[in-house]
Amino acid sequence: MPPSVPPDREGFEREALVHLDAVFRTALRLSGNPTEAEDLAQETMLKAFRSWHQYRAGTNAKAWLLTILRNTFVNQYRREKRRPATVDVTDIEPFTVFRDVQDADPERTFFDRLVDGDVIRAIDRLPEEFREVLVLSDVEGLTYAEIAAAVGTPVGTVKSRLFRARQILQRDLYDYAVEAGYITRRGAS
Amino acid sequence: MNESEPIDCRAVTHQLYEFLDGELSAAAKARVQAHLADCAHCFELADFETAYLRFLEAHARARGAPAHLRRRILDELLSGPEPPASR
Repeated sequence: MPPSVPPDREGFEREALVHLDAVFRTALRLSGNPTEAEDLAQETMLKAFRSWHQYRAGTNAKAWLLTILRNTFVNQYRREKRRPATVDVTDIEPFTVFRDVQDADPERTFFDRLVDGDVIRAIDRLPEEFREVLVLSDVEGLTYAEIAAAVGTPVGTVKSRLFRARQILQRDLYDYAVEAGYITRRGAS
Repeated sequence: MNESEPIDCRAVTHQLYEFLDGELSAAAKARVQAHLADCAHCFELADFETAYLRFLEAHARARGAPAHLRRRILDELLSGPEPPASR
């Protein structure tokens, strides 16, 4: 392998532009608005192209792009200042729905009944600081260290936010499945 | 904590996602594995959470970028100057 990818248009297209789907998806989850997500994705790609010489070959190009995306969103698109949430994972009582599912739906059929749209809508209901780490981890597959770099927080914070995000989402999906009649909560009928 | 000390259900619950994400150190991973081998409840929980994460992976992606966005970006790239070359 050559020591570095020449910072040319072709290299950029091959290594970075292939991640446009991921950039757009993440932009959509962050902004919640398809038109804005397109602008945000385009701006991210053009910024990335201009700083392509700073990209270190062999590192995760997707993580690099999503970091640029997240910074662009925070600096230019986010309307509301968010209050910093401090969550310590050891303070959280796990509220996994595991026990409820064991009782009411041991075959876990609700996982099969829920469709993409249900999951996306539930993700969009998460508070932003939880939504962004969940999307970067569970949709885009970044490591804790890559997420920490993208979001600008210590790895420990990523860990606790991700824990919380997954549990809130799980509970939300479970409640939705009960409401939709996919699961009968024990004792409820 | 002593590296060889066994851990309890509570500790496993708190570390489960890190375990499933492959983010634990080798020693911590071994402790969780040892507990899961012995504890039916935690084993079932780990199985459930694994299914949940797979489910998320399969259903959370939705659609990719629209074709016109790709064209728009390519047009911009072609009209702009080459980025600075490294020496």
